[in-house]
Amino acid sequence: MTAIKVENLSKTFKVKVKDKGLKGSIKSIFKPKYKEIKAVKDISFEVEKGEIIAFIGPNGAGKSTTIKMLTGILFADEGNVEVLGISPNKERKKLAYEIGTVFGQKEQLWMHLTPYDNFKFFGAIYDIPNSVAEKRIENLKMLFELEEFMDTPVRNLSLGQRIRCEIVASLIHEPKVLFLDEPTIGLDPVVKENIRALIKRMNKELKTTIFLTSHDVGDIEKLCKRVIIINHGRIVLDDSMEHLKYNYLNKKIIEVKMKEKVNLEDEPGITILKDKGYNLKIEVDTKDKNVADVIKLLDPDKIIDINISNIPLENIISDIYKNEEK
Amino acid sequence: MRKYFYIFKSNLIANLQYVSNIMIGFITYFVIIFIFTNLWEYIYSNPDKLINGYGLEQMIWYVIVTEILWYATGGRKLCNKISNDVKSGNIAYNMNKPYSYIGYSLSSHMSEAILRGVLYTIAGMVMGLVLLGPIKDFNLISIPFVLISSLLAVLINILLVICIGLTAFWVEDSGPFYWIYSKVILVFGTMFPIEYFPGIIKIILNYSPVYVTTYGPAKLFIDFSFESCLSILVAQIIYLILSVLLASFIYRKGVRQLNVNGG
Repeated sequence: MTAIKVENLSKTFKVKVKDKGLKGSIKSIFKPKYKEIKAVKDISFEVEKGEIIAFIGPNGAGKSTTIKMLTGILFADEGNVEVLGISPNKERKKLAYEIGTVFGQKEQLWMHLTPYDNFKFFGAIYDIPNSVAEKRIENLKMLFELEEFMDTPVRNLSLGQRIRCEIVASLIHEPKVLFLDEPTIGLDPVVKENIRALIKRMNKELKTTIFLTSHDVGDIEKLCKRVIIINHGRIVLDDSMEHLKYNYLNKKIIEVKMKEKVNLEDEPGITILKDKGYNLKIEVDTKDKNVADVIKLLDPDKIIDINISNIPLENIISDIYKNEEK
Repeated sequence: MRKYFYIFKSNLIANLQYVSNIMIGFITYFVIIFIFTNLWEYIYSNPDKLINGYGLEQMIWYVIVTEILWYATGGRKLCNKISNDVKSGNIAYNMNKPYSYIGYSLSSHMSEAILRGVLYTIAGMVMGLVLLGPIKDFNLISIPFVLISSLLAVLINILLVICIGLTAFWVEDSGPFYWIYSKVILVFGTMFPIEYFPGIIKIILNYSPVYVTTYGPAKLFIDFSFESCLSILVAQIIYLILSVLLASFIYRKGVRQLNVNGG
């Protein structure tokens, strides 16, 4: 079952431009000039129900513009969008009852109210009967471990506690699709882990489809099974995490500490990233060379210490961005 | 309606924390009333004289009531908020919630207006009674009608300010429009009753927002009659419907212009 269907979606913004200085400002009053910025260019994809998908890209790639079109905030210039079979532009209010949104950089909670009052408020705006809202608040309180601070005004909560409450507020009406726009931004590693675990649990227990944008590779790696990479308004990759890792993780990094200096040079499958005499950092392309062969070249008897690791996903993603730009 | 009541209630809880801030505004209110009391006492050299059908006490009570309505509305703050919401793209985050932005703005600001209205009414009544004593021949039966008319006046005023704030969809800053609107209401609506203005201006004012947002409730308070009550309430209801339609029209047109920067 498809939860989100996007076909040939495009969006262009008209932005006012003016020449430098006072002269330019006066000129722009009488003869305003505009330039067009194509934020999203002809993108198409589908998301299945219950899927957790990462929608990532560098700043200005078109991620948030796409999310805003999917949630009915922005009107698309061209193309077709359906979320749960509903057109966001034509039936925005109807869709609002079916989806939830969390924008990590934008709070939707009332700061002076307690989480409990906030959840009651969200229950009311989604027309949920009091008794049902109470039950859901109780369940979500347990799931997201909010007992401690249910009666503390939101303005007095830590960022991690607030984000948990933001997510709960967007779940009161049991949305079928949840849009999370950088939900872990600004959080410390422990809280990030905690939020990720809760999102995963929520997806498992409530079967919520999750559409996630994040600059944090940890979010993507730990939560998502599929990733869409967007750059300059176009989709540059739409693949499963497994494939992404398989295709790009054929490279290994070997860091060695030697007893003696070794003379190793670049050759097919081997790239010397760092050579400090006794310490070497080597990239091995396992398609051309086995790791074992490289170790043999180094002479295992002279190795004091060795560390073999995968290339971080972060580097893979930034390589994909860079290749696309070239 | 339940959701708008919750928006009203939530904002009221927030504003109850700032009652002392609201009360600081009493200072300018007292100064204005004090200045007008002296001004009208000077104009009415003979306290029993009637000018355009109004006596001295009625004139000062008129200013007390219109200023309460003006301060209760708090239009500048609302206009700035709506204008900033549009310019910053904040309005977008209200769009994916199942309520209307206008309904949201109206109910959240109404809670603030009612709180301010209650506090200013207490201050204004105490000041009026201390300075002037009660209005002669004041009819107690007028109280519910004055309250209904005042509520409608504030509602209409808020809706018109929302319309002005929403012009930010097309212009860089809706502030100048609000400045013009506030000065028109201030000069033609809070200082003098409409009867003070000559010929054509009087006719225009009778059909203008001045009639329904300030003059109407104040007139009922100082010179109540069922005839004027009926015409004022009918005019207010017509204005209320028109201002709701106008605000919805502007919002619908404007929202298509919305450019929200990505994050």
